[in-house]
Amino acid sequence: MHLRQIFLLACLLWTFIGAESGWTRVYIDIASPELQPLPIAIAQFEDRGRSKPNLGREIMKILTNDLTISGFFEIIPRSVFPQESNAIADPPDYKIWSPSRAEALVTGGYSSREGQFAIEFRLFDLVDKAFLGGKRYKGSTKGLRNIIHRVANEITYLITGEKGIFDTKIAFVSTMTGNKEVYTIDFDGHNLRQITNNGSINLSPAWSPDGRIIAFTSYIKRNPDLYLFDLTRSAQVRLSTNPGLNAAPAWSPDGTKMALMMRKEGNAEIFIINRDGTHPKRLTKSWSSEASPTWSPDGRKIAFVSDRAGSPQIYTMDRGGKNMKRLTFSGRYNASPSWSLKGNRIAYCGRMDGRFEIFTISPDGMWIRRLTEYSGNNESPTWSPDGRFIAFSSTREGRSHIYVMNANGANQRRLTSTRGKESSPTWSPRMDR
Amino acid sequence: MVKRFCIVIGVILSLMVMVSCAKKAVKEEPLVTGKAEEKAWGKPGEEAERARIEEKSLEASLERKKYPGIEGVFLESSLLKDIHFGFDQYNLTPEARKILSQNTELLLKHPRVKIQIEGHCDERGTIEYNLALGERRAHTTKGYLISLGVSPDKISSISYGEEMPIDPRYNEGAWAKNRRAHFIILSK
Repeated sequence: MHLRQIFLLACLLWTFIGAESGWTRVYIDIASPELQPLPIAIAQFEDRGRSKPNLGREIMKILTNDLTISGFFEIIPRSVFPQESNAIADPPDYKIWSPSRAEALVTGGYSSREGQFAIEFRLFDLVDKAFLGGKRYKGSTKGLRNIIHRVANEITYLITGEKGIFDTKIAFVSTMTGNKEVYTIDFDGHNLRQITNNGSINLSPAWSPDGRIIAFTSYIKRNPDLYLFDLTRSAQVRLSTNPGLNAAPAWSPDGTKMALMMRKEGNAEIFIINRDGTHPKRLTKSWSSEASPTWSPDGRKIAFVSDRAGSPQIYTMDRGGKNMKRLTFSGRYNASPSWSLKGNRIAYCGRMDGRFEIFTISPDGMWIRRLTEYSGNNESPTWSPDGRFIAFSSTREGRSHIYVMNANGANQRRLTSTRGKESSPTWSPRMDR
Repeated sequence: MVKRFCIVIGVILSLMVMVSCAKKAVKEEPLVTGKAEEKAWGKPGEEAERARIEEKSLEASLERKKYPGIEGVFLESSLLKDIHFGFDQYNLTPEARKILSQNTELLLKHPRVKIQIEGHCDERGTIEYNLALGERRAHTTKGYLISLGVSPDKISSISYGEEMPIDPRYNEGAWAKNRRAHFIILSK
């Protein structure tokens, strides 16, 4: 109830802020589960330098793909654009557009010279005949994909009031080298990068909230120890070496602590340690197994798995370990909770008719929603930072791969296609801030 | 009835022991009567002999091994048998207890041997919960060995969750094999 009030308040606030900044209408209500995509026209970006011939097409491809994946937009094909030359002038001739279904228009230009790349875009409201905003970006040509992702982020911001997540990544585990190593991949399936390369068993990658560090568990020293990998320096440290488990790390939202599974009295319990590995604090005390902690976005609560009632089920507790509450009651196996960064849902996987499926539940234990009903096992859900997507692993096509879907289960698509079995996806925070 | 049966078994057993002792005494120390006497009474010389034979059989059962990507080599003995568990279970079946008492017998005879108990799971269920389950399986197994007299400082435990299946296939037979506690020898 409390969360719902906060949510309503946020919506109200949003309306005021929106009105203040001169918004004339709500383009897309992102809170609505059945949102109508906004028909948008993207004009061919103008080459303002003598760039490679295919660059313009590549830019369009990346941008169109981002905006399509988001589910916020319906891209109007260029073949049905009005033919008049001033249709994409600045400002466009709005009259010409009125018979079109397009409600927004993106125009822009780019140049690429000596390894440097610049791009500018402008967004127009074709219905209210208004300039909504625009931005210019510069960077090295190598980072082109990332720059286009930022353009898509900004367009999404101008339309929905919240930045896109097109520059985010997903960390996961793949056996493509024969053992389990950690990898990252961009949100759109490009840019595969191998993070660990130690030939051991590497598990449960977890992004720090600033996106710079990935925590994971590795068996290098014949114990499941916790390691940190610094992505900017490509350096690794061994952090927590408690005999027994140091597994399933989850960073607190402020980045100062990690919750994890550790062995105590012969079974796995939830602990919190400082970011530097010190001051382990035990949160659960039971004869049962505890696993897979995940923080609420306000950092006050932790959801986790416990089999104290005879089968693995999802529970929540305060960050101090008090006020334990069981959330899931249906089914004999519910695990792998992931708390949405919006705070309003917890995704998890549950066993149903012998298979694992992805569900979401509200943090008060109400409103269970089943998101997958395909063949194969669907596991390890993880939320995008805007709470609109869930990545998960699935064996629906044989070997386990990483898939992405909308938070309501729509648009399920495969993200990865490495040669190995893929598991344990974790969505990065926003990198563009 | 049961009592009488026990007595009969007892008599047979003691006869067997006497016969085997007599044989050894005759075969190995035929000339030194004093020593033969000692042996007949089960004195240290014979125990050392038995230990030597057992040491030999342990030696013969050993195999040097290394897991890829994990530091260190270790030994595996074909005399230390795996035990198996039910799906999502960590309690010891009667069969598992029987195997564990045989394993214990070997460990008690070789008190210098340090073992590690590995808890393993089948691939069903989440990777992280299976880590917890493997921990539990290893711990339960360790507890049982300790209750049978094995020194706690000779046993460490580790959970590999579902990460090291011995049979990678996706069927009930493979899963049953993979849900196990496995014993390795770290030093002896």
